[in-house]
Amino acid sequence: MRKFVVICFLMSLFTFTACVDEDEFPDTPQGNFEALWKIIDEHYCFFDYKQHEYGLDWNNIYNIYKVRARDGVDKYQLFEVLTDMLAELRDGHVNLYSSFDNGRYWSWHEDYPTNFSDTLQRKYLGTDYLIASGMRYRILDDNIGYMYYGSFANPVSDSGLNEILRYFAFCNGLIIDIRSNGGGDLTNAEQFAARFCNEKTLVGYQQHKTGKGHNDFSDLEPQYIEPSANIRWQKGAVVLTNRGVFSAANDFVKYMKCFPLVKIVGDQTGGGAGMPYTNTLPNGWTVRFSACPSYDKDRKEVEFGISPDYAVCLSDDDFRQGKDSLIEFARKLLAK
Amino acid sequence: MMNKLLILLLTLTPLSAVAQESTSANIIGVGSSRILDTYINQEKYSGIGFTYLYIKERARSERRWNSIIEHEIDLSSTKDRSKDNQMIEGNYYLYWGLYRHWQLYGDRLLLQAGGLANANLGFLYDTTTSNNPAQGRLSLNIMPSAVASYRFPLFGQQFAMRYELNVPLVGVMFSPNYGQSYYEIFNRGNYDHNIVPTTFVSAPSFRQMLSVDWRASERWSLRVGYLGNYQQAQVNNLKQHVYAHRVMIGVVCHFPNVVRP
Repeated sequence: MRKFVVICFLMSLFTFTACVDEDEFPDTPQGNFEALWKIIDEHYCFFDYKQHEYGLDWNNIYNIYKVRARDGVDKYQLFEVLTDMLAELRDGHVNLYSSFDNGRYWSWHEDYPTNFSDTLQRKYLGTDYLIASGMRYRILDDNIGYMYYGSFANPVSDSGLNEILRYFAFCNGLIIDIRSNGGGDLTNAEQFAARFCNEKTLVGYQQHKTGKGHNDFSDLEPQYIEPSANIRWQKGAVVLTNRGVFSAANDFVKYMKCFPLVKIVGDQTGGGAGMPYTNTLPNGWTVRFSACPSYDKDRKEVEFGISPDYAVCLSDDDFRQGKDSLIEFARKLLAK
Repeated sequence: MMNKLLILLLTLTPLSAVAQESTSANIIGVGSSRILDTYINQEKYSGIGFTYLYIKERARSERRWNSIIEHEIDLSSTKDRSKDNQMIEGNYYLYWGLYRHWQLYGDRLLLQAGGLANANLGFLYDTTTSNNPAQGRLSLNIMPSAVASYRFPLFGQQFAMRYELNVPLVGVMFSPNYGQSYYEIFNRGNYDHNIVPTTFVSAPSFRQMLSVDWRASERWSLRVGYLGNYQQAQVNNLKQHVYAHRVMIGVVCHFPNVVRP
């Protein structure tokens, strides 16, 4: 019986151990501001890099915007203040979602020429192009294969890629147009890139945060692309890029740059090297932000984009002639 | 001390042979759930939850140890305070353990103390986000436990009050690291402290159930009660809790033991 009492006493001690809880900010303009600032402070992954690049100081940002987010402002004003604060991060992966608007920073592509015209693209694709795995594709009249992949959110399938590459089998080269591809599923990018890979290839590094500090990161983990067991492309290929290439599409370019038969043509990509996470504020608004940074194979940042091997812009002369300067450049490159 | 206990047990043995019996209980419950998981969100979620609980208690008069096995399934639908964001929770708990038993006051009071092995498999899913919407739960624990049962007559009927308490001692659980994505873990195979040893300090979970049985017949009882399952952990700089409060109702089937000479 005494054993029972002793056991129960010890058990009762355990039950008095502390609750695991988290303080909540009040659902006021000031509370929502504090909550948002803290979420970013504890989870955002590019503070150091951006301080080095353009002097981002998140603590100073707090002092600047705190006075604007005073209690009494309405929800529209608060949304504007919070969106302005997030724009200081200069990150296309950072968004604030409310029921009436999506706060965004899109200068990474809006401040630059598009270098892409769907009017011109239609002249190359025509209307009788094929569609598979989210890609539109056809063979151009100089026997160069052309495919347009507009979003990595469109799932790719092994059978679909097999069909596409089989269709292009007798082409002299392949143009992979991913201009204005804003990203999607990273596994689609990996699956597609594996069709251009003949040996296990180091394509970059990735890490994640291990704590709330701005510099609490895990070790860099290498990213490899392994050759696909299905049909692989063994001729020259060109990837067309513009500033609208972002996130998973940016990663795709990072991968493809590592393969010897692939060249990148066009404008610098838009970047977006942080895998995004989401969180919510007391008022229910959702914030998205970069949480896990990735780097290229030389451990360099690609958050602000990847330079092409050949910088080519859409020229007005070509446009007037109904020609896409990037596609034409790629055709000549592949014909060499 | 041991001798006294032995004498006490020997003295009580004939009584326990009469009083102890094996039971199986099927119980369902409804109540509130409160959820926090800072891997997914800083906000707390609350809502309604449902529980199914199966308890099989096996007692043999000639043995000093009783065995118990419990299956618990919890499902919850919760919202944050803005009511705009929803979180779904599901957990399965398996408890298996052995209890040393003491019989007091005739056959009225049965005290049991021992340990449980607990396995948990579950998930959280935030239906409104797309990038890190889910969290998996997987853990194994050793839990010191105790059960007290008291039988009493009331209005000419037989009733039994039962209280069970399970607390954590040591265990091991799965958790992503602070900012680690599931893509890294499962697509890339990059592990980073994802299997975490836990103690009653880092995972101060506990579970209790208070119930009253009305003996409707020799074979059946009706059970009503309260189940509180408070799962908590603080590992890899992440905090999580699932507090489940349930009003339970169910039936208990009795299997009287055959007293061996």
